[in-house]
Amino acid sequence: MGVIITIDEMIDRTADLPVIPAVALRIMHEADSNTASASQIAMLLARDPALASRVLRLANSAYYGLSGQVFGLKEAVVVLGLRCVKNLALVAVSYPWLSKPLHGYGLDPKDLWMHSHGTAVAAMLAAQRSGRLRDDEAFTAGLLHDIGKLAMNVWLERKTEALIQLSSLNGWSFVECERTVLGYDHGQVGGRIAERWNLPLSVIDSARYHHEPDARPDPSLVVDAVHLGDYLASALGFGMGADGLQYALQPNTLVRLGLHPQDIDRIADDLERERRLQAESFEEIVA
Amino acid sequence: METFGVGMSEIVVRKGAAKYLCLGLGSCIGVAIYDPRADVSGMIHVMLPAAFPDRPVDQIGKFADTGIPALLMAMEKMGANKRNMKVAIAGGAQVFKFNNTGTNQLDIGRRNGEAVIEQLTKAGLKILAKDIGGTHGRTVTFTVPDGQVEVKTLSQGVSELCNLADNRERSAA
Ligand SMILES: [Fe+2]
Ligand SMILES: [Fe+2]
Repeated sequence: MGVIITIDEMIDRTADLPVIPAVALRIMHEADSNTASASQIAMLLARDPALASRVLRLANSAYYGLSGQVFGLKEAVVVLGLRCVKNLALVAVSYPWLSKPLHGYGLDPKDLWMHSHGTAVAAMLAAQRSGRLRDDEAFTAGLLHDIGKLAMNVWLERKTEALIQLSSLNGWSFVECERTVLGYDHGQVGGRIAERWNLPLSVIDSARYHHEPDARPDPSLVVDAVHLGDYLASALGFGMGADGLQYALQPNTLVRLGLHPQDIDRIADDLERERRLQAESFEEIVA
Repeated sequence: METFGVGMSEIVVRKGAAKYLCLGLGSCIGVAIYDPRADVSGMIHVMLPAAFPDRPVDQIGKFADTGIPALLMAMEKMGANKRNMKVAIAGGAQVFKFNNTGTNQLDIGRRNGEAVIEQLTKAGLKILAKDIGGTHGRTVTFTVPDGQVEVKTLSQGVSELCNLADNRERSAA
């Protein structure tokens, strides 16, 4: 088996791979900078009227309890904070890609969205409980952690059964099976996509290392939060696919985040509620 | 027959014919209960072992220690009797490779299984069949009045777990 084509060749040859809109990318970097201002974010958003109107509707959704009170973009940024608005823009941008079915992973329509959004909310809650990193950064990285699957999907389509067999026969995790069959896994591919899109480093790292945060030369708390978020979203069955629970949990992530094993149940309790409330009020707007 | 999806943290109780569906259980547990004599059935999709003493319970069906007593009480209100109840449970999986560092606390699936069994035992109920643990997701269907409980997994497909109406059939034969 081994390498059939390189990661870059795979990405190049994957038809209908999404492209991140320029405005969303600018907003992500702007929100991460020290000089970010509400009016700058609002100005950027205004360049993409379709995106801007969805962000405004999200800001006015039941989830924030401000229904109908947020009239302008600048107001939305001031009231909700620019990092919150950044994530609303990303939810609006990524929903269409993430809600497509991925047969190579046994994912029905909306499954990957449910899993990615669940991971984002869980990573955000883990970050809040930890207090050692920005929660909005954890949400962003959580939302995009499995983008590698968008490219891997087509290439796995006729191999899914074999991968499941490989996993159960050898006791391998799903990423180990991907590496054996294709030469690399969806983390490596996702990391490369994120790099080519010029996404922030924490997003690149989380896509690349979310199944093995201990493997990163120097640990990253965002990756750790995404790893835990992915674990919780998977365990709770949010959008479960063929890879199901076939992954490893690295408990060192908890230690680095300063979390206790007892925190897991509390994060899960909050996750169930926050994910449900967000999905209920966001989905009809971004769909 | 009407199908009732039993979402995470939900409790559904019915009198008469019904079909229950618990979709995509990972570490969560689906508990199916039937009293064939009263023709009252119910199902719960439990997410965590126990409610937190310092937090309000937003959904009673979320936790084994609040949800199972609530399910039993709701069934009794509709005329069911604990002595005639038959129970099946499925779910409680865990991630594949669990670096065991003595932190059992992280294994939500296993703790859910223990908590559900504890609650059912405390209520004096016997579990007719269980399919818990492992590393695979499950989808559970439960139909009444035939009492059939089926578990579907990705690698094994659909298989019958048990029949919660068995006793009635046997005594009638
Ligand atoms: Fe992944
Ligand atoms: Fe994931």
